[in-house]
Amino acid sequence: MLEQTVAKKALPGSDSIFRQQYPNQTTFLAYPNLTSPAVYFRGYLPVGSVSDPAGKNGLANLNAAMLSTGTDKHNFRQLHEIIESCGASISLSAGSLSTVFSGQCLKEDFSLILELLLEILSQPAYPQNHLERLQQQLATVFRIQAQHTGEMASQAFDRQFYREHPYAHPELGYAHTVKTISTEDLRAFHHNFFGPKGLVLAVSGGIDPQASAHLFDQIFSAWQVPEQQIQKELPPWQPLPQRLREHVPVAEKSQSDLIIGTIAPTGMSEEYQICALGNNILGQFGMMGRIGESVRERSGLAYYAGSTLEVGLGPSAWKIAAGVNPDNLDRAISKILEEINRFIQEPVSQSELSDVKEQALGSLPISLETNAGIVRYLLSLQRYDLSLDYLRELPEVLKSISAEDILTSARRYWDMDRLVIASAGREL
Amino acid sequence: MVEYPILNNHKQDPKFYSLANGLRVALKQIQTAPIVSSWLWYGIGSRNEVPGKTGLSHWVEHMQFKGTKNFSGQEMENTIARTGGYTNAFTSPDWTAYFQTLPSSALETSLRFEADRMVNSLFDPEEVETERTVILSEREGNENDPQFLLGELVQQAAYQNHPYRNEVLGSKEDLINLSREDLYQHYRNYYQPKNAMVCLAGYFDENQALDLIEKYFGLLPSFPITWSIPEEEEEITAAKNVELLGPEDANFIQIAWRSPKASDPDFFAYTLIESILSGPSSLNMFGSGGIGNRSSRLYRELIENQLAASVNGSLSASIDPGTYTLYITCRGDHSPEDVITKLNQVVDQLLTKPPSQNELDIALKQARANFAYSSDNITNQAFWMGYASSFADYSWFKDYVNRLQAVSVEDILRVSRKYFDPAHRVTGVYRSRNGASYA
Repeated sequence: MLEQTVAKKALPGSDSIFRQQYPNQTTFLAYPNLTSPAVYFRGYLPVGSVSDPAGKNGLANLNAAMLSTGTDKHNFRQLHEIIESCGASISLSAGSLSTVFSGQCLKEDFSLILELLLEILSQPAYPQNHLERLQQQLATVFRIQAQHTGEMASQAFDRQFYREHPYAHPELGYAHTVKTISTEDLRAFHHNFFGPKGLVLAVSGGIDPQASAHLFDQIFSAWQVPEQQIQKELPPWQPLPQRLREHVPVAEKSQSDLIIGTIAPTGMSEEYQICALGNNILGQFGMMGRIGESVRERSGLAYYAGSTLEVGLGPSAWKIAAGVNPDNLDRAISKILEEINRFIQEPVSQSELSDVKEQALGSLPISLETNAGIVRYLLSLQRYDLSLDYLRELPEVLKSISAEDILTSARRYWDMDRLVIASAGREL
Repeated sequence: MVEYPILNNHKQDPKFYSLANGLRVALKQIQTAPIVSSWLWYGIGSRNEVPGKTGLSHWVEHMQFKGTKNFSGQEMENTIARTGGYTNAFTSPDWTAYFQTLPSSALETSLRFEADRMVNSLFDPEEVETERTVILSEREGNENDPQFLLGELVQQAAYQNHPYRNEVLGSKEDLINLSREDLYQHYRNYYQPKNAMVCLAGYFDENQALDLIEKYFGLLPSFPITWSIPEEEEEITAAKNVELLGPEDANFIQIAWRSPKASDPDFFAYTLIESILSGPSSLNMFGSGGIGNRSSRLYRELIENQLAASVNGSLSASIDPGTYTLYITCRGDHSPEDVITKLNQVVDQLLTKPPSQNELDIALKQARANFAYSSDNITNQAFWMGYASSFADYSWFKDYVNRLQAVSVEDILRVSRKYFDPAHRVTGVYRSRNGASYA
């Protein structure tokens, strides 16, 4: 029974979320938490690793790391001394489709940090010595990753799942491509793709939204880059031709990591919500859903075993992952396949459906407990072009989803003959 | 006009109570959202375990999710999940804690379950055996990480006898040998009201909350506890070196010094030393990340000078003297010895002259910011009420920034000299079997 009511006004909506777009095509979103002495911010520019040129995999990621190694106004030491001496942080990273920046500061320092953020994004110096340092650090990371069963299983999954699609490549790139990246490559990348067009910044914390929007406008409106290019559109993902299996041998490891997956719906569509409820039953609810019950609770095969429904503007995966003793790998695969088969053979029970609907509703205010949680939600609204009242409308959407809807969607996305099974650990 | 939710001041102090059976209670009202974070803390952790029985506290924590004579484990999990809330538990060297963060309307559910499993857990023999493989699997997952393996060696070397030398998960040998009776006896001995504390933070009515706590916990009996209290180890007895060879194509270093117990006044100066040396530790277990360490002395000397790929420090507040540990990933073109030589120079500097007032002021500002970030969410605020009470009392946390502000540059020098003596530290090196020359 779906009797739980959510106090709609307690959730962020069109009357409490501030959103403003500016002539230079930046967007600012804010939600107040006026008791907080701090401000958390997060945003993105729509350029990521899919724009890495051929043979330069890892360029977007390295660029993100290089942005904070110095600007035209401040060298590395000066920059980080300013940021850290006020107890603030600014972090940058690149995903497949975007370069993400985030951080936090005391509210008294927000203006200073916002100015530095623009400086970092718009005026990088790309010092050669820091490029060499970061390339060496990445070389170490690649060597460590090669012995990391979780990372190796994940990369094997992406190789098999995406094949010719740009997402097949790790966002960090490869050791042999990262070492060829030069400051000229970075400058060209920055020149082509960095500018205000498509920049989104969301904030939450102890600042008045309109005052912070005014501050954002004052600082960011000066950024004009008429020649800024738009990232090219992604090619379509090609369906799996058959069941694909890859195991990466990693010697001397006590545990093997396993990922089994299929395609997920794109964006936060209504079908995504249907699959999200189904996924919750499959591998999340309680102690990791049906998968956790079968693999961990009943069989004791794994410490973790659950499922994840990724969300993105491009193709993304619906995955089941487990960490198991190498001797139990085949048994864990069998148990998981049994559960997938059950998931597409019969509708979920009414009590399971009721459970996950109640959970989804109850979790709405809890997911917004922190400034960071609120900001992530604001960015989702923008990224997936959702109504500002999305959360307030969600209960009605959830209420309308039936067990048959979940079965129909489960069958659309899970095909026992077209799965990727990737693992890493002791040689098979 | 834009209408925002009403946000009340949440800076009021928590209130503390004690039931007749010895159960301590801390309540902190925060009326920003209809959420409550409900914690139950037990004063038991791996610190109270004896040789041959390591891992008991952590395993008992797992068994608390396996059902009582009144509720199955799944029933408890699913009931909490249905509220939209989340639940978890932690075992540390000093304590074991269980929590749920959930809608305020579900507070009673949380208290009912916690009171029930304080006395009624089943420890079903079949469940014990299933969980043995789950915990061994948890340990195996950790063993995949070379830093875990090295850390285990370093901790063992940092103590002669004190149980802080043991991994909370327990040794593999003990995990294979522990019996259902060992677990149940541990549970019956330590899980009782007088060794527990309920902490609530969030949106609730204080009188109603107290009535509920009395209703569910008030009649539970307390009885004498058979304690295993270790003897404190004030110092690492000598300079110790431990080494490990492994398949990773990289070298790692861990260096551990003794740190004062949290209730020692020197702990506050030590906190600032950590900040100066390796960057400040976050006080926020459940929110957004902390402050970077790129302006710290070790980052400048090891990372900027291209000797290491990463350096981080870890200092925890503990009941007995603990350890402050540095975690360093070496670059392939420098040996661990190169890194340690440079690190020694940085530490020597700490021992020969005090930091500048400016450096101290920066560390203080960082601490103030970290303290502010720690109040970002309700779960973290409930956590700190219980955590601070495990080694001191809540005033430790409340006065944290003031205590730091009272530290002088001379205090920093004095405390550095007391604790950072190179003759009393553990140096651990994980060396690549491949030789790790990757230039």
